[in-house]
Amino acid sequence: MKDVKNIIRRKLSVRVSLWVVLFAAIIFNIALGFFFYQAREAVRQEAINRATQTLDKTSLFVEGILNRVEVATDMTEWLVQRHPDVADSMFVYSRGMLLNNPDFYNCSIAFEPYYFKDKGLYFSAYSKYIGDSIRTIQGGSDKYQYFYTDWYLMPTLLDHPCWTEPYMDLDAPTNTSEMVTSYCKAMKDEEGKIIGVINTSLSISWLSQTISAVKPYPNSYSIMIGRGGTYFVHPDSTKITRQTIFTHTFEEPDTALTALGHAMQRGEEGIKLMHMGGQKCYVFYKPLGKTGCSMAIVCPESDIFGGFDRLRQSVRIIVLVGLLLMLFFFIRIITSELSPLHRLAQEAKTIASGQFDTKLPELQRIDEIGQLSNSFADMQQSLVKYIEELKNTTAQKASIESDLRIASSIQMTMLPKKYPPYPERDDINIYGQLVSAKEVGGDLFDFFMRDEKLFFCIGDVSGKGVPASLVMAVTRTLFRAIAVHESLPDHIVTDMNETMSANNESDMFVTLFIGVLDMLTGRMRYCNAGHDAPILIGSGAGLLPCDSNIPVGVMQGWKYTLQETTIDPWTTIFLYTDGLTEAEDKDHAQFQEKRIFDVISHVPNEPKQIIEAMTQAVHQFVGEAEQSDDLTMLALQYKHQQQDIRYQRSMTLPNDIQTVPKLSEFVEKVCEAADIDMGTCMQMNLAIEEAVVNVMNYAYPKGVKGMVNIDATISDKGLKFVISDNGVPFDPTAKEDVDTSLSAEERGIGGLGIHLIRQIMDSINYEYVEGRNVLTLLKRLKVKD
Amino acid sequence: MHHQPNKMREILYVLCAVLTVIGQTLTAKGETIVFTPQWTAQAQFAGYYVAQEKGFYREAGVKVRIEHSSATQPAINRLRNDECQATTLQLCQAMELIDGGISLVNILQTSMNNAMVIVSARGKDPLTQRGAKVGIWSVGFGQLAMCMSIKDHLDYQWVHFAQNVNLFVAGALDATLAMSYNEYYQLMQAGVEMTAHNVYRFCDHGYNVQEDGVYVTRDYYEKHREQAKRFARASRRGWEWAAEHPEEALDIVMKYVDKDHIATNRAMQRLMLTEVLRLQVDRESKKREFRLRPDMVQLASQLMAENNMLSREVKYEELVSEK
Repeated sequence: MKDVKNIIRRKLSVRVSLWVVLFAAIIFNIALGFFFYQAREAVRQEAINRATQTLDKTSLFVEGILNRVEVATDMTEWLVQRHPDVADSMFVYSRGMLLNNPDFYNCSIAFEPYYFKDKGLYFSAYSKYIGDSIRTIQGGSDKYQYFYTDWYLMPTLLDHPCWTEPYMDLDAPTNTSEMVTSYCKAMKDEEGKIIGVINTSLSISWLSQTISAVKPYPNSYSIMIGRGGTYFVHPDSTKITRQTIFTHTFEEPDTALTALGHAMQRGEEGIKLMHMGGQKCYVFYKPLGKTGCSMAIVCPESDIFGGFDRLRQSVRIIVLVGLLLMLFFFIRIITSELSPLHRLAQEAKTIASGQFDTKLPELQRIDEIGQLSNSFADMQQSLVKYIEELKNTTAQKASIESDLRIASSIQMTMLPKKYPPYPERDDINIYGQLVSAKEVGGDLFDFFMRDEKLFFCIGDVSGKGVPASLVMAVTRTLFRAIAVHESLPDHIVTDMNETMSANNESDMFVTLFIGVLDMLTGRMRYCNAGHDAPILIGSGAGLLPCDSNIPVGVMQGWKYTLQETTIDPWTTIFLYTDGLTEAEDKDHAQFQEKRIFDVISHVPNEPKQIIEAMTQAVHQFVGEAEQSDDLTMLALQYKHQQQDIRYQRSMTLPNDIQTVPKLSEFVEKVCEAADIDMGTCMQMNLAIEEAVVNVMNYAYPKGVKGMVNIDATISDKGLKFVISDNGVPFDPTAKEDVDTSLSAEERGIGGLGIHLIRQIMDSINYEYVEGRNVLTLLKRLKVKD
Repeated sequence: MHHQPNKMREILYVLCAVLTVIGQTLTAKGETIVFTPQWTAQAQFAGYYVAQEKGFYREAGVKVRIEHSSATQPAINRLRNDECQATTLQLCQAMELIDGGISLVNILQTSMNNAMVIVSARGKDPLTQRGAKVGIWSVGFGQLAMCMSIKDHLDYQWVHFAQNVNLFVAGALDATLAMSYNEYYQLMQAGVEMTAHNVYRFCDHGYNVQEDGVYVTRDYYEKHREQAKRFARASRRGWEWAAEHPEEALDIVMKYVDKDHIATNRAMQRLMLTEVLRLQVDRESKKREFRLRPDMVQLASQLMAENNMLSREVKYEELVSEK
């Protein structure tokens, strides 16, 4: 079954053939069904006509004979009535009846008891044929009390002539019996009193034979029943006179047979379809004249419709065989018509497996299959060409990808990678991370330490991919190059903007945040060029207030504003690009600031932990969705600690070079307190002197008197000199390192001094605070064993 | 020692011969009883056919010949004419005959209930058909019906018939008497519908008088007392056997039916046998009693005497063997 189903599903030819044959079968069925129905009706009608004719004929025949008996009896009665008192003449009349009608069985002219006084109780003139001669006797006796018989009682009780139910007439003298039916007519005297009955009998053996011979179909038979339902004609002779049509129903109730019996008893005429003797039969019935008998022809349905059924069976077989042949040939023809398709399918499979040069079968056909084959060939050619192109493209793409990988790694090397970046410092903790959406990205962050200042930046270049990555590289390079000699973030950004917007033909720009954190004071100067405001995480968390500057590279000549704040120790500055806030999940919902604060509130205030927790939160949020933008985060924790001051001394000098020896004395004392060796002390003296002289010479305009303060402190970190004045702001550290290869004349003023200071001191830091130039010089002290 | 067995054998031979002769003599001594049932061969007489066929009569030492009467010649005529020695009669018939001066002895009473019914045509209640033409047997059953007709003022017009089914079916009768075991079924077989309405059962209306019994003339009884008793006992044995083996009894009945070319069939005879056997069971004792009930004799006698069908009351003692 499963195999058959499979074949039907897989074979178009079988399916199409089945549909065609199915429709043909339906049409044949309807047409033949209609035809068979009509034909069957015709056959049935024919059978009815035939049976009805037979019944009518038999009935008429019986009627004819019965009429003769009735007329003859009436004639005899007329004779009797003329001489009702002459008993012996009755013998003559009864004999005469038979003489005139040799086919009659017998004739009795019977009288009421003691009607003839001299004849006693019984008088019945009874004639009967014995062979060819007629025997006439007096029929009544003690053994045959005729006045109790049916034939005598019936006409007297009914008060009209009638036919008796057939009965066995026993002829006592010859002891022979015959099935007869009698026509009886009561005779009355002038007063209307019954004097006797004339009875003329007919043998019904001829009637039985006539009816038994009625056989319109090979297996049909006839029956005849009397008023009481008794069988008088039946193919089963044991039933005749012994059983009635109802007898059988006593043992096996049969409502159809009972109904037939009653209908026949009532003298009705009709047709019934019922089961008789185990088969379906049509029963045609009709009363037989006035005898009270009824005749029925029983025709088995199989007889009536036998020929018809055989014809129908033959037609059915022919149609079935025809349909099967049709199915067979259809499958063959369609299979052969579709065979090129099969071959095409095979070839397509081969092509699909990668053998694009497979040769297609050549078809000399112009029908749909031919067209399909041609289209297929065209497609194959196109496919070969396309695959070739694809191969080249793929190779190119692989090459580009390789380049991109290299570019990506180069880009990554630009970013700080070493964490912690300043292991020797305990005042700063930094962690940064950049995850590109593509091989190369446009995000950047960077930081470096100069002169006790932490320069850091974060930026996001417009666009993505290679162009953005190039702009990113440029931005980072500019940041490093400018910040080397420029300590103010607004200056750095402005310089970068000038450079980048000068030749910005590609209209690319970068949002940027640059901060400079003074490690000694915790003061942070910053400039925000259109970037997301950083978050400060300390005892609480909040956005760093930022001015709205335009991004870098958009417009030449833009003045970027400087902002300033003080970072409390243990505060973390958390910087990020919009790749964090705008990270999208699969429903395009964004991560947003709110979630950043959520994460921060649940994580210890430590840069690496914050960034890792944030990364995890973003991954969780994004889920299966593709990373839409570069994700960059930078966290800086400022950990400035109060130093343990062991020694403190300060002095103030006027801007007069003549006071320098005082300075030398001051420095020497400090060095002594710090237990610094002589050589170093001398070097330090030189450096301090250089810095102070520099202030004395340049801080105040010529002729203006000013003061310069020198504070010295010794702590566990080292020896610190803070030189401050309220002259014009001047940042000596912003001068580039002096090119010592040049001659003294060629070098700018001060340049050599700063270089010297840098050489001697461990760090140098300039701040302009509250109208004062503050220069901090630090010398770390060697720890003595 | 050798001839002793031979001697024994000789003695045995002699004994056998003597016994055979005695047996034959005894059988020859008893004259043949001609037994005439009151109707043609049918299951109504199954017990007697069984007794004959199963050899109960022979075993009882009586020689019996069964000769049937005909529908128009009453069995009693044959008894009167000495054409038979024993006959079946209904109790009422027997009482009429005794009243008429024929001395009879009931040697076996089979029926314990009355079987007579009135079936009326066209589904009418027989009790509403005053003056109706009602069929009655010409051979003289139906005394109780006549009593009832008078008592209930129905004034039925009695039509004596030899055979009633055809007359009834042809519509010549308004109602007819029928025996519940015979004509009742014949009428049903002729398609007449029996309802609770159109059938009047005498046994249910105070006329439950026994019917069939076997009678011999008192003369005969006095002379052949032993033979009559044996005949009665064997007949009773026949009935008891028939009650236990109804299908085999039916086979025997059909043999008699077929021999006499009686126009009946097995289905009808089965119904008849069942009904006849049922009628043999006394309503009160629920047993096959095979006895005349004095109360029923008295009831019949009174009813018939009241309606001038008897000139005097016939006593129970007049019917039984010992006066």
